[in-house]
Amino acid sequence: MASLQEPWLLENGNLKGCSKEIRHGRTAHNMSSSSLRKKSDLTLVSKVRFVMLRQFLTNLQEVILGTKLSVLFPAIPLAIAAECYGFGRPWIFALSLLGLTPLAERVSFLTEQIAYYTGATVGGLLNATCGNATELIIAIFALSQNKIDVVKYSLLGSVLSNLLLVLGTSLFCGGIANLRREQKYDRRQADVNSLLLLLALLCHSLPLLFRMSGASAALTADPTLQLSRASSIVMLIAYISYLVFQLFTHRQLFEAQEESEDGDGISEEEPVIGFWSGFIWLVGMTAVISLLSEYVVETIEDASDSWGISVSFISIILLPIVGNAAEHAGAIIFAFKNKLDISLGVALGSATQISMFVVPLCIVVAWIMGIKMDLNFNLLETGSLALSIIAVAFTLQDGTSHYMKGLVLLLLYIVIGACFFVSKMPLSNGGIDTIVGV
Amino acid sequence: MESAGELSYMENGESNKSLMGKETCNNNGGVIRTAQNRSSSFMRKKSDPMLVSTVRFQMLRQFLSNLQEVILGTKLAVLFPAIPLAIAADCYKFGRPWIFALSLLGLTPLAERVSFLTEQIAYYTGPTVGGLLNATCGNATELIIALFALYQNKILVLKYSLMGSVLSNLLLVLGTSLLCGGLANLKKEQRYDRKQADVNSGLLLLGLLCHMLPLMFRYAAQPSGISIAKSTLELSRASSVVMLVAYIGYIIFQLKTHRQIFDAQGDGEDEDEEKAVIGFWSGFSWLVGMTLVIALLSEYVVGTVEAASETWGISISFISIILIPIVGNAAEHAGAIIFAFKNKLDISLGVALGSATQISMFAVPLCVVVGWIMRIPMDLDFSLLETGCLALTILVVAFTLQDGTSHYMKGVVLCLCYIAISACFFVHKIPAPLDQTIVNLELNSA
Repeated sequence: MASLQEPWLLENGNLKGCSKEIRHGRTAHNMSSSSLRKKSDLTLVSKVRFVMLRQFLTNLQEVILGTKLSVLFPAIPLAIAAECYGFGRPWIFALSLLGLTPLAERVSFLTEQIAYYTGATVGGLLNATCGNATELIIAIFALSQNKIDVVKYSLLGSVLSNLLLVLGTSLFCGGIANLRREQKYDRRQADVNSLLLLLALLCHSLPLLFRMSGASAALTADPTLQLSRASSIVMLIAYISYLVFQLFTHRQLFEAQEESEDGDGISEEEPVIGFWSGFIWLVGMTAVISLLSEYVVETIEDASDSWGISVSFISIILLPIVGNAAEHAGAIIFAFKNKLDISLGVALGSATQISMFVVPLCIVVAWIMGIKMDLNFNLLETGSLALSIIAVAFTLQDGTSHYMKGLVLLLLYIVIGACFFVSKMPLSNGGIDTIVGV
Repeated sequence: MESAGELSYMENGESNKSLMGKETCNNNGGVIRTAQNRSSSFMRKKSDPMLVSTVRFQMLRQFLSNLQEVILGTKLAVLFPAIPLAIAADCYKFGRPWIFALSLLGLTPLAERVSFLTEQIAYYTGPTVGGLLNATCGNATELIIALFALYQNKILVLKYSLMGSVLSNLLLVLGTSLLCGGLANLKKEQRYDRKQADVNSGLLLLGLLCHMLPLMFRYAAQPSGISIAKSTLELSRASSVVMLVAYIGYIIFQLKTHRQIFDAQGDGEDEDEEKAVIGFWSGFSWLVGMTLVIALLSEYVVGTVEAASETWGISISFISIILIPIVGNAAEHAGAIIFAFKNKLDISLGVALGSATQISMFAVPLCVVVGWIMRIPMDLDFSLLETGCLALTILVVAFTLQDGTSHYMKGVVLCLCYIAISACFFVHKIPAPLDQTIVNLELNSA
């Protein structure tokens, strides 16, 4: 595989730490989406005569074609074309959504590749911040267009999707595939995540209760905002200590299982592209994600009108399914192999990251931009969140699993989806006074 | 320490001394020292009898050594001068916020001394009565403040201060203990017996149910406009009786049938004085005296809370829920942290959870019953925001403690929950006049 090693040798010289330490950079998150990769077939490229061209094409092949989801890549230029030539706006929405799916997976791949060069800790940090880059970028675009409800709904939907859909299908499929075997996982990781989710629930419930118990909307709007901003800082502090806990002091609780996977060929310890090319690809893909996210956020109302589905359903159910597709598939595959620790790490880790990092970050960004976003996600959404977190915390507290647990979580998700399907709340741009009267 | 021995001998005769000898020098004696007593014992310091032994007259000497034991026997004694200052401020009409602050400062060492005196008396009365004494007087400060607020018809201050005590014990004391213990013992495994935590969580959930029923009852009856204030009151009084029955059951469980779950860990401590340092009657009279002073200062506190709130610009709910409990719990708090440092989590948990259970299952229903007798309409409806905070707190704590191990992350989360709740009450400004029954006001405006 000489041609494989040439590109990164040319770019990087001595690889930093090609040792056991790199394995630690492969968090559950990375390992799960790695199951969607396929080995590049370099025979076609090796026929090209010029060395530089060959390296460039190898690079291209690794990045663009290195995943089974690359069949969705053509949706990106189609979406851009649809926007330029003024096709139907629902088409732009649908094509952008389809284009986002492989991009999210590629960003995770590139983050993992870069992590090989930067060491375990920075790699873990990179994963912790960019792991949900898609959701973060969609949320910030919605904020800049002052669609606060879309932000709240899409972030809430991400948490619900990770906690109920991804976890439920993983436990269900894993349970069915391993009917005769005992399925165990380390409950300490699940406990820490559940605890952080309960803290997030408290921070969401306080503004809601405050608003509900207060006199009038006008009087309580300002204190609710201050309370939300203070709670966001609290949540960010909790997230930073969670990172310290996970990456420094109690790392042994979170390491992905180290047994060798039986020849599915993904356990290559070496990166396949160089550091700078990985970095450039990452920046480029993030720019494309931003573009598609902007289309999504702009056209969401038109899609909702023409398809007859409420905006809340699209934001809470459809958007997160798309954004999470790659992790979702990976979590199911690892559950099939009875490696529940990895599936749990993916699902719970994503949920924790979104609720303790992305949500407070959006509030702080809104604070800087002068937009009044608070943590009051309204009664129906906060209630669904509370019951989901309680159900998941209870489900995961004993350290074993079977398919019934997955089935229950899945059915919870279906019920919540049905609830938002029928609820047609008007979308208000102020985002402050959509209180359900008690 | 011959003066101490003489004192107790002179007051109690021979029989008691032998009783002391038998009961206190074996295992049973160790049981008297509940978690609460042991935690506040860190605030004590050994009395130095050298100075006193130079005084010539024997009675005077005994009196002075008694005084030294009781007044100067704690590191918090530096705050004692706040008591006469508070009384002077009230008599000479200094600013009312000053009276409030000085009374709060004076209450801190008094609470610790009452716990010390209770422990000393328990040496003479045996473990069971000692445990009962501790169970009732352990949170004497909070109880007395609550009764005064009830008497002055400031029901909101009463509800807020009791709820703030529960929240402070469950989140602040427990959180800082787990955090400091986790940081100090990073490489060690920290375990505790989860059965004690489970019993306390069960009782707290019962208390939560009794609080939520009147609240939901009120919201359910709102649309139809029926006045349900009377029914809510009756429901609250019945629930209070239920909670008191549960508390009595808990005491029987803790002191008689399942004592082994609650025994403070019996390894040799370096403060292992098994003998009382003051006599029974002197301890008793000191206890009565200190309770009277606590009552006086509590009256000042309750009387001046509005003035302090207006002058300092902080809402009354913040003062009642956050400031007053921190002061009242200071000694236990410090003790719980020190025991967590030494990786003796059972004691820290016993202090924090035991106090929370005592307040929510004993002090609160007792106030409702006393209000019943005094014909004051105090009910268990603590309004939506407070009950919601209580529910989420109990949920988080029950979940945190259910696996029997600990690390610093648990402490971090609990402390941050407390900070979020404090922020909530910091921005929460309830309407000013407290002397009316605000329950009716809320019913009308909601």
